[in-house]
Amino acid sequence: MSEAILRVENCCTWFDVTRGLFAKKQIVKAVDNVSFQIFPGETFGLVGESGCGKSTLGRTIVKIYSPTSGKIFYKGEDISTLEGARTKAFRKQVQMIFQDPYASLDPRMTVGEIVREPMDIHGLHTAKEREERVVELLQIVGLKPDHIRRYPHEFSGGQRQRIGIARTLALDPEFIVCDEPISALDVSIQAQVINLLEEIQKKMGISYLFIAHDLSMVKHISDRIGVMYLGHIVETGPSHLLYSKPLHPYTRGLLSAVPIPDPRRAKERRRIALSGEIPSPINPKPCCPFATRCPNATEKCFQAMPPTVEVDGRQVACFLYEEGG
Amino acid sequence: MSVLSVEHLSTQFTTDQGIVRAVRDVSFSVEKGEILGIVGESGSGKSVTMFSIMGLLAGNGTVTDGRIILDGEDLSPSAFSSEKEYEKKMCAVRGNQMAMIFQDPMTFLNPVLRIESQLVEPILNHTKLSRKEAVDRAIELMGKVGIPSPEKRIKQYPHQFSGGMRQRIIIAMALACNPKLIIADEPTTALDVTIQAQVLELISAIKDEFGSSVILITHDLGVVAQTCDRVAIMYGGKIVEQGSAEDIFYSPNHPYTKGLLGCVTNPESEFSEPLHPIPGSPPDLLKPPAGCPFLDRCPNAMRVCRDYMPETTVFSDSHFSRCWLNQKGGAAG
Amino acid sequence: MDQTVRPHDRPLQLPPDAFELLPESEKNAEFVAMESRTFFQDAWRNFRRNRLALVSLCFILLMCLLAILVPILSPYTYDGMDPSSLNQLPSLQDWFGTDKFGRDIFVRVMYGARISLSVGFAAAGINLVIGVVYGGLAGYLGGRVDLIMMRVVDMLYSIPSLLYIILIMLVFGSNMFSVLLGICISSWVGMARLVRTQVMSLKEQEFSLAAFVMGASRSRILFKHLIINSIGPIIVSLTMMVPSAIFQESFLGFVGIGISAPMSSWGTLANEARMVINSYPLQIVWPVLSICFTMLALNFLGDGLGEALDPKKR
Repeated sequence: MSEAILRVENCCTWFDVTRGLFAKKQIVKAVDNVSFQIFPGETFGLVGESGCGKSTLGRTIVKIYSPTSGKIFYKGEDISTLEGARTKAFRKQVQMIFQDPYASLDPRMTVGEIVREPMDIHGLHTAKEREERVVELLQIVGLKPDHIRRYPHEFSGGQRQRIGIARTLALDPEFIVCDEPISALDVSIQAQVINLLEEIQKKMGISYLFIAHDLSMVKHISDRIGVMYLGHIVETGPSHLLYSKPLHPYTRGLLSAVPIPDPRRAKERRRIALSGEIPSPINPKPCCPFATRCPNATEKCFQAMPPTVEVDGRQVACFLYEEGG
Repeated sequence: MSVLSVEHLSTQFTTDQGIVRAVRDVSFSVEKGEILGIVGESGSGKSVTMFSIMGLLAGNGTVTDGRIILDGEDLSPSAFSSEKEYEKKMCAVRGNQMAMIFQDPMTFLNPVLRIESQLVEPILNHTKLSRKEAVDRAIELMGKVGIPSPEKRIKQYPHQFSGGMRQRIIIAMALACNPKLIIADEPTTALDVTIQAQVLELISAIKDEFGSSVILITHDLGVVAQTCDRVAIMYGGKIVEQGSAEDIFYSPNHPYTKGLLGCVTNPESEFSEPLHPIPGSPPDLLKPPAGCPFLDRCPNAMRVCRDYMPETTVFSDSHFSRCWLNQKGGAAG
Repeated sequence: MDQTVRPHDRPLQLPPDAFELLPESEKNAEFVAMESRTFFQDAWRNFRRNRLALVSLCFILLMCLLAILVPILSPYTYDGMDPSSLNQLPSLQDWFGTDKFGRDIFVRVMYGARISLSVGFAAAGINLVIGVVYGGLAGYLGGRVDLIMMRVVDMLYSIPSLLYIILIMLVFGSNMFSVLLGICISSWVGMARLVRTQVMSLKEQEFSLAAFVMGASRSRILFKHLIINSIGPIIVSLTMMVPSAIFQESFLGFVGIGISAPMSSWGTLANEARMVINSYPLQIVWPVLSICFTMLALNFLGDGLGEALDPKKR
C-alpha cells in the first residue's frame, strides 16, 4: 500500500466547558484517542450519531480546532507545526465542504465572487483566467455561466451545495473533508451531489473524508468506514465487510436500525434493539463508551477501555474480540 | 368508511412575489387503522396539505377548493359560515379527534412549563376527567410511550429530556384523547438512526393498540418501506402516484417515483449499485406549469406533458398514477 | 372514490405530435426561481412599503436641503440685528418672527438645523468608524483580548458623560469640536457592543469557517465577510444614533454649555426663547418643533430601516 495522505494518531480534541470560576472542571471529550489513515484517491467514511464527535474530528483535521493531544500528519508533515507559507500551502491542498448549504455561502457575495474567492486569496492566475476558471468550475458542477451574477439566496439547496463544491475545487485540492454534505438536501438532490463527488474524485484523484449520519449513502461512496461513538472510533474496515458482517455491537445495532427501502425485507429482518440513548460526553468514565447500551456488556466493559484489535482485516475496539476473550 | 377523506384540496399562499399554489387538486383517503405515508421533497406541498387539514395554515394561506371529511364530518373551511366558527370547531377537533406530531418537538413544548401541566391540560380540555384522574392518565400515557419512571419524570421540564424522549412526550400528548387520526410530520427527521427506529416502532405499536390511523409525512423511503401500508407520492403540489407500499416499491409507474427509487441505495446489498439522480431542481410553484409538474426533470417528457395535466390511470383498487406515458398507446413506460 | 377524473378535465383534443418526446432544450430543469435582486434592492422594496418611514426620509432630506440653502439664499443672516423690529410676530418678511435683537428666527432656526444636523451626522459617523473597528476586533479575536477590550468599554460607560463634556468644554472652549468630542467619547460604545455580538455570532457560521479553511487572512474574514454581513443592524443603530446626538447637543445648548452665541443650535435657540417665554411664548415653539419633528422622523426612519433590513422579515 502506498503512503497515507492523512494519518491521525491518538488524536484528542477536548473542550473545557466549565462554568464559573470555582465549579468542578467539566471537559467534553468530543474526540478521544482516535487513530486512522486515509490513502490517496480513497474515500474514508465516518459515521455516527449526532454528538459522537465526527464533525469535531473533521474540523480538527482542517485545523479549525487544534488537537488537545495526539498528532495529525498530512503527507507526512505534522499539521500542528505548520507555519506561514506552509500553512498556506496546506490550506490550498485541504478543503472542506460544509453541511448547511444555506449558511456556508456568504449571502452578500455573488456566485462568481464566491467561487473566485479562494483564487483571490491565494493569488492564483490573472484576473481574466480567474473569470474563465469560475465559468469552467460552474459547468463542472452543472450550473450555467449566467448564474455568476446571482446571489446565493436565489438558488435551491442542491444548487447552493454545488456552488460550495465549485468553490472547494477552485484550488485543485488533493484532500477534501465533506462534513455531512448531503444531510440538508432532498433525496433526489442527495444522489446528484454524491454522483458529482464521485465523478470529481475519478477525474482528479481527490481523497475524501466523508462524514455523515446517513449510513446507506456512506456505504455507497466510501471505500473504508470508521464508526464513531462518543468520541471513539469503535470499528474501522472496508465498507462492504463492515456492512455485511459488523463486528462491534454498536455497529450491529446501528446497521439494523437503518431503514431499508424494501418493504418485504423490512418486515422480515430482525432489529437489534439498542435501548437507551447516548450518554453525556461531559467527563466520561474511563470504560467502554458503549457499555451502558450494549446488549453484550460484561463487568469488564464497565471497568476498562477495550483495546483496539485487528480482526479479519478490520480494527475493532471491543472486549468480545480480545485475544482469548 | 374512511377515517379521513380529502377531495380535490387546493391551497394557496399570497406572498409579495405572487400567489404560490402549494397544493393543487389533491385527493386521498385514510382507512381505519392504517398508516398512510406521504412522500415528497421539500416544497412538494406535503406539509401544507396537512396544515390545511388541521386548519393551521399561516395567515397568508387559504384553502381555495376541495372538501375535507373526518369521520363523516365535513371539516373544510367552506362548510362553515364564518372563519370564527371554523376556528371554534377546529379547536375542539384538534388534539381530540385529530392530533399532530411535529418534526421538532421543542417548538411544541413550552420550555418553562413542567411536562405535567403540558400533558394534563389537553386531557382536561377535551374530557370530563378530574384533575387527579387526568394526571393518572398522563402518567399512564408516558409509560405507554416508553418513558421510564413516568411518575418522577412528569415533574420535569422539557430541557431535561433528550430529543428522542421529547418526541415520545409529543406522541403521548397526541394520544391523550384517543384521536382517530394522528398526523406525523417528519417525526424522526431530527433524530438519530437508533432513536428513529425506536420512535417508528412506537408509532406502529400505538396504531395497533389505540386503533388510530396515522398519516406519516416523510422524505425517507426507507422509513416508508418499514412503516407504511399505503403510500402517496407528492410532487409540485400534486399527488403523482398512490398505491400500497408494495405497489410503489416493486412496480412503480410514475417516472418521479422511479426516479426517487433510483436515488436511494439499499445498505444490505453486497455491492453498491450506481445512483441515478433526478437532474435539475423542483418546480417553482409561483408559476406552476400548466401540465405535469415533473416535466422539466422527466427523462420521458413529451409534448403533451407540457400543456396538459395527465389523467389518472387506475391499475388496481389502490394503485393510481398520473402520467401521460400510460395513455401513450396503452403502454406504461 | 378518490382520484376520480373531474368532468372539466375533458374532453381533450390532443395535437397529433402530443406523444413525441420533448427535446431537452425545451426543458428548464436548472432554472433559478427568484428574480435577481441585491440586498439593497430588496431592502428598498420593503422600505418603500412603510409610508411613515418614507415620509420621514423625505422630511429629513428636506430639512437638510433647507439647512443648506436658506442661510445662503435669505436676505437675512443669523447674526444680523435689526433694532427697528424687535420681537415681531411672524410676517411675510420674517416667517417665524424676530427675536429680542431683531434677528430673523426662521434663518436662525435653519442655521441651527445646520449645526444640529451636522453634529448628529458627524457624531454618528465617528461612532460608526470607531465602534465598528473596535467591536469587530473584540468580537473576532475573542478570548482574553475581547475580555480586556470590553472592560475598557465598560469603564468608559460607567462615567456620566455630562462630567467629561463639561471638562472638555473647559479645556477646549465651547465650540462644535468639543461638543462632538464630548458626545462621541462614550456613545460609540453602543455601536461597539452591537458589532461585537454580530461578529461573534457570524464568525461561527459556516461561511466564515469556509473562508478560514480556504486560507483567508483574519482581516479579510473580518472586513470582507463578518462586518459586511452585519451591515443591517449597523445602519439601523446608526439612524438611531443621529437623533440621540442631536438631542444631547440640544440639551447642552439648552442648559447653556453648548455652542455659544451668536452662533445658534436648536438648543441654544430654545434657551434664548425661554428667557422671554412670558411675553413672547411663540418664539420657543419654532426650535422645539424642529427638534421634535426631526427626532420623530429619524426614529421612524430607523424603525423602517430596521424592518427593511431584518433578514428574518424577508
